[in-house]
Amino acid sequence: MRADERPALAATDLTVQYRETTALAHVSLEARKGEIVALAGPNGSGKTTFVRAVLGLIPRSSGTVEVGGVRLETLDLVARARAIAWMPQEEALGDNVPLLEYVQYGRYAHSPRFAPERAADRATARRILSELGFGGRERSGIHELSGGERQRLRLGRVLAQEAPVLLLDEPTSHLDMGYQLELLERVRRLVRSQGTTVVAAIHDLNLAARFADRIVVLHHGRTVAEGAPSAVLAPALLRDVWGVVADLRRDVRTGLPYLIPSLPTMAAPPSPAARGLRVHVVGGGGAAAPILRALVEDGYRVTVGAVPLFDTDSQTAEELGIAAATELPFAPLSPEVRARHRQLIAEADIVVVAPFPVGPGNLANLEDVPSEHPRMYLVESAGAGTRDFAGGAATRELGRLRAHATALDGVPALLRALSATPRAAHGEPNDR
Amino acid sequence: MASVAAGPAAAGTPAVRRGLAYWLLGGGILLLAVTPLLGPVPIPWESVFALLLRGPGTVGSASSCGGVSVSAAQCRIWGEIVWQTRVPAMVLALSAGAILGLSGATLQGVFRNPLADPYLLGLSSGAAMGAALLFVFNVGVAEADILLPVFAFLGGLIPGLIVFAAGRSGRRSPETLLLTGVALSAIFASLLASFLLYNPLGSLQVSFWLLGGMSDATWTHDAIVVGVLISVGAVLALLGRELNLLQLGEDVAQSVGVPTQQVTLVLVLLTTVGTAAAVAFTGVIGFVGLVSPHIVRRVVGPDYGKVVPLSGLVGAAFLLLAWDVAQSAIPSIVLPVGIPTSFVGGPFFLYLLYRRDRLGGPRR
Repeated sequence: MRADERPALAATDLTVQYRETTALAHVSLEARKGEIVALAGPNGSGKTTFVRAVLGLIPRSSGTVEVGGVRLETLDLVARARAIAWMPQEEALGDNVPLLEYVQYGRYAHSPRFAPERAADRATARRILSELGFGGRERSGIHELSGGERQRLRLGRVLAQEAPVLLLDEPTSHLDMGYQLELLERVRRLVRSQGTTVVAAIHDLNLAARFADRIVVLHHGRTVAEGAPSAVLAPALLRDVWGVVADLRRDVRTGLPYLIPSLPTMAAPPSPAARGLRVHVVGGGGAAAPILRALVEDGYRVTVGAVPLFDTDSQTAEELGIAAATELPFAPLSPEVRARHRQLIAEADIVVVAPFPVGPGNLANLEDVPSEHPRMYLVESAGAGTRDFAGGAATRELGRLRAHATALDGVPALLRALSATPRAAHGEPNDR
Repeated sequence: MASVAAGPAAAGTPAVRRGLAYWLLGGGILLLAVTPLLGPVPIPWESVFALLLRGPGTVGSASSCGGVSVSAAQCRIWGEIVWQTRVPAMVLALSAGAILGLSGATLQGVFRNPLADPYLLGLSSGAAMGAALLFVFNVGVAEADILLPVFAFLGGLIPGLIVFAAGRSGRRSPETLLLTGVALSAIFASLLASFLLYNPLGSLQVSFWLLGGMSDATWTHDAIVVGVLISVGAVLALLGRELNLLQLGEDVAQSVGVPTQQVTLVLVLLTTVGTAAAVAFTGVIGFVGLVSPHIVRRVVGPDYGKVVPLSGLVGAAFLLLAWDVAQSAIPSIVLPVGIPTSFVGGPFFLYLLYRRDRLGGPRR
């Protein structure tokens, strides 16, 4: 194996045991030269334990760590500091030393013991300070910095080590959003220009997805997912690991996935009555998304139509694995799509009309709902204003449907109405 | 920090700091000049300086006494006093003060606590207990002269080694170690008291020793203490970078390449040996190690590379000043030197405690 093919960092089969509890169970991680790997996972998932175990700061009961093909424990501390640099999550504030001195602390392993700092070390520290935007402030003291600046300065100390591998433990904790992005962007740029390998524990998945080439997700001390951000960020993983329900979106500008998390609804688990019932939701423009989610959670089989591709409703449908009649964006509904939509309606036990904005392009959505459908619900949202952009035609159509349907205000009311189905009334307890 | 331009290093503007530095330097020189003049036996200053300029050795005639009309025999006695008592006492004060200052600065760095001090860590009470133990065995005065420093030295090593062992096994916080020292200090104090019950006659000797002084200084003592100062001080002064990095926490220091275990071991061991050696000959002297680093930090800032050696310098000056005060506060009586140091150090310690509280808890 050639030297440059070796992983820059190879942590294999790390296990950390605290008395009875296993904090880390057989976790392995390899990172190539120049790669940015995010270590994600909820609080207590083992991210920090992993980082500390890699560094040898806590005893491992199994596992090996190699940096550039060399076992870390065979190196003395100075050689280790040259191989791998660490930015801890928390750090003592220490004395009010000048910024230049502080960054120079990172040069310890590069200057011989007992020797005063070499001019070269000072120059390196100066360069890093200016790269991090501290130019001209070398003499001010670290106590004068804001929390965000201090974090950036700590990064400077870590960069001054000029190690090929950086371990960053929650580098953006305590930072507000602007600083988080700024800091990670700086790391990215510096790392890209120098081919440094970065493993960063980041609990915020969205940040991780923007920052990293690859995400490794830890849960209860085990690796539960690993891969490119777009592959790892799946709603199912979010639910299983973080215990949250999340909307997965795609950032329009970067094409990167991002999540909008929310706590799972505290609603009762799906009643057996709900299972098997098929509900079709007529929507578009994102109006159907919350309804789709709620229905799926409650155990209904759900379809949606007819919605434009890439709009929130169709994305939600895709993410929830829901059958949908979809049309190209901004195109009027074609006969084929309308046929598919009518078929979905016909096959459904229940039709729900979401409070979606109606224009000439999607007026057919309402027209395709037959008045004689046995069970129909109209979800309205109070105070949402007009959603008739079809010159009165939508209002007319809604009037027609309202004559045959039950009008409800909001999603919770809909769920209540659905659970009180005729079938559920036959001896199904509602309050389970 | 009000002033950004002045830099974070020290309080005040560079001009103020420079002024303070000149004051300290001038004061130091004055101290060196005044000290030989002081003592229970009045000797005219002309004679003292004349004798000092002549150097040690036998004094031939009265003319050696700087034109003061005294007999040759009197002049010889003065010569003896100056060269066999006053100068050795001065050297002992300087070297012991330097060791205490160096040790105080070092321990404050190791324990990351501005209140650390050899005295607080129980080193001094350990030494005192060692000295008191001697009197349990009822040794004679002649033997006590040699054995007292030995016992004090060995006693002083005990708390230092215990604190060190506590720090080695497992990850204990600096606070825990510091409080370990405080607790040991109390234990040794009670042991001391119980040893003295065995030999009430020894208690007078011990109690004087407890408060410290340079009166018994000899050139032999000086040679030992200066030797310890040079060997201990050289290493302590060189480990400033490591001490700076220790301030970031042991883990971070390690990740940057500092062998923290070894550094801590060496530092605690050297300060223990150094302090025990100094205290063995001077008796217990508190607060020199505590106060000196704080004065230095105000002038040069937090860099331990400067704080440690300069604390040695200031410690030397501080103890010499205290010694001068001890000799001159009450005519013809030499006070134990621990009295003036504690008079200054005690209030200063309280000031530090309360300022720390006002600034919002420990400096971390």
